[in-house]
Amino acid sequence: MPARIFKKSWLIKSIFFISAFIILVIGGTTYKKIEDLSQSSALLTQTYKVNVELEKIFSHLKDAETGQRGFIITNDPIYLDPYNVGRENINSSYAELKVLGKDNIALQNNLRELNILIDKRMEYFEKAFRFSSVGNYNDENFKENFYNGKKLMDTIRVKIKGMIDSENELLRKRQQTYESNLKVTPMFLYMVLLLSLVLMFITYSKIIRDLKKIKAANEQLEIFKESTKQSEIIGQQGNWIWDIEESAFTYSDNLYRLLGEEPQSFTPTLDNFLNFVHPEDVEKLQKDVDKMMINEDLPFIYYRIIQKNGTIRHFKACAKLHRNLDGKKQLLGITTDITNEIEHFKTLEERNLELERNNKELSAFNYVASHDLQEPLRKIQTFLSRLEDKESSKLSETGILYIDRIKNAATRMRLLIDDLLQFSRTNKSDKAFELVDINILLENAKQDLAELISEENAIITSNKLPTINVIPFQIQQLFSNLISNSLKYKSKDRIPEIRIVYSKIKASEEPQISNPKKPYYHKITFTDNGIGFDNEYAENIFVLFNRLHNKDEYSGTGIGLSICKKIVENHQGFIFGSGKPNAGATFTIYLPFI
Amino acid sequence: MQEDYINIILADDDADDRLFFTDAFEELKINTRVKTFNDGVYLMDYLNTENCVLPNVLFLDLNMPRKSGLECLRELKKFDKFNDIAIAIYSTSASEEDIEKTFIMGANIYIKKPNDFKTLKKVLQEVVTINWQYYTNGLNKDNFLLRL
Repeated sequence: MPARIFKKSWLIKSIFFISAFIILVIGGTTYKKIEDLSQSSALLTQTYKVNVELEKIFSHLKDAETGQRGFIITNDPIYLDPYNVGRENINSSYAELKVLGKDNIALQNNLRELNILIDKRMEYFEKAFRFSSVGNYNDENFKENFYNGKKLMDTIRVKIKGMIDSENELLRKRQQTYESNLKVTPMFLYMVLLLSLVLMFITYSKIIRDLKKIKAANEQLEIFKESTKQSEIIGQQGNWIWDIEESAFTYSDNLYRLLGEEPQSFTPTLDNFLNFVHPEDVEKLQKDVDKMMINEDLPFIYYRIIQKNGTIRHFKACAKLHRNLDGKKQLLGITTDITNEIEHFKTLEERNLELERNNKELSAFNYVASHDLQEPLRKIQTFLSRLEDKESSKLSETGILYIDRIKNAATRMRLLIDDLLQFSRTNKSDKAFELVDINILLENAKQDLAELISEENAIITSNKLPTINVIPFQIQQLFSNLISNSLKYKSKDRIPEIRIVYSKIKASEEPQISNPKKPYYHKITFTDNGIGFDNEYAENIFVLFNRLHNKDEYSGTGIGLSICKKIVENHQGFIFGSGKPNAGATFTIYLPFI
Repeated sequence: MQEDYINIILADDDADDRLFFTDAFEELKINTRVKTFNDGVYLMDYLNTENCVLPNVLFLDLNMPRKSGLECLRELKKFDKFNDIAIAIYSTSASEEDIEKTFIMGANIYIKKPNDFKTLKKVLQEVVTINWQYYTNGLNKDNFLLRL
């Protein structure tokens, strides 16, 4: 989630820049509008001033004319004052106008024309004075001059009126612009402000929302951090981060604890860490770290450290490359204290070795049993047969009886040794499982016992057996042991009958099976009509050397069923026996369905 | 003269077994010349002397001091001159391992020492009168162990 928030930050960024841009535009426009306004008002004032000056010029001209007329009538120079002053005033007004109209080309042109007209008027004034000083008022020239002066005055009047009109026109236009400016500017400013407010609001709500998300993410991170701390302590782990570019390390608190130190009690550098490493492992670890720096990866490495109190601990570490949000490369590492595991492993290994030794001793013992016990026994038997053949005529009846007894004992001993050997050989190590049709194995077993079966006239029936992954000769042994067991414990009153029934069953539906390893099993039952047994002994019958009957009644070593049990267990199966005295026994085999 | 006798050698460290062996041949009505050796070293010394009479059938006990039957078998199979000797393993045990090993190493038959004298006689007669040429051709792991 944080990544998504950070990815969204471009939106906020762009909104911020747009807002800033808009505010700049508002500022600029406002400045421009205010500038326009003040310019408009300046122009208004200017127009008014121009009009006033123009009026002034005309009135000065009129003053000058009036003065002239007074002088002509009275010939009193006192009337010349307004004329003289008027002249000066016209000049100053003209200068004023020139300044005012410096940006107005039309006004300048008009002024220039006006100037020429005024100059001409003044010329007529001068001429009129010349005539008046002579006193020749009836002179034709004076009359013409005077008349021209009047005409010129009219022209000036028209000119000035035209100028004032055009100035008024200008004024009107300027007033219009000024007014429209006055009207549009606040509207525009208001709209733009509104827009930027909206944008700001969007940004604000966005930031608030993101903040909430970040807060939630932060909370999660906080929880995660706390649980990581806990799991570090429980799992005896320490985390470290190596910033590759800055070559700086960060250790988690628990890494310090694993080293037997207080959290963050020393600067997390490689050298400081190597101080703890077992001297014998330093070189190897240094090599691994060098490799890590080149490959930017750290596969599992193992080393020992020595805590300050001298305790040696076994560590395992690994690290993976990670890019942080800024795209910087970091190696995230985990260091685990595996001392306990190693100790467990050592004990296990020792136990395994001991077991192996025991097994070896056992098989050595088996070899002794097979070889060294058999040899003297064979001699005894062979010598007995020699004795019987060659010397029996020289023996008394009792002697022959004794020999017979020795022979029986020796036979029994041989049987025991053979069965024991068979039992000890029945282990699954180095015996290969094969997929075989166990019907064939049953046939082979029957073949092995063919003589006995026909002797007893036994009836053996079976339905079709499956093809299973088994150790073939062991299953054959199992079948043959079960059949011979049934024949051995046959009832004297009946012809022995053995029924072999197969079915595929679900482990959960079979109450006899506790802790099944597979959901389905092959179930094979061997039911006979022999002497049976009390169910009290249902478990004892599988115990080695355990017999239910006196050996004079029924020959048996008490090993046969133990072998059966061992074989079935080799196949991860189960075998159960149940019986009813004088009715028969049933042996049930479950072999896993794979 | 050689043709009249079947030459038989037994290498076995057990005096009783050597006795049973020679007794059995004495009782059998076959023209045999039986030689016995106490262990593999004596046996190989004899077989390696020049102009010695090579046996038709050699009975090898597996478990012997100094040089075991397996070692003898290995040495015998190295030389062509011993090719015609039929080698019968003659051992107390008949463990799968031993049977397999000796079969692979080229023995011709594996005999488990019988428990009574009558059977011993029967076994020895059987082995000595086998037509080895014919028998070896049909030899396989299943009929390697002699069953009577």
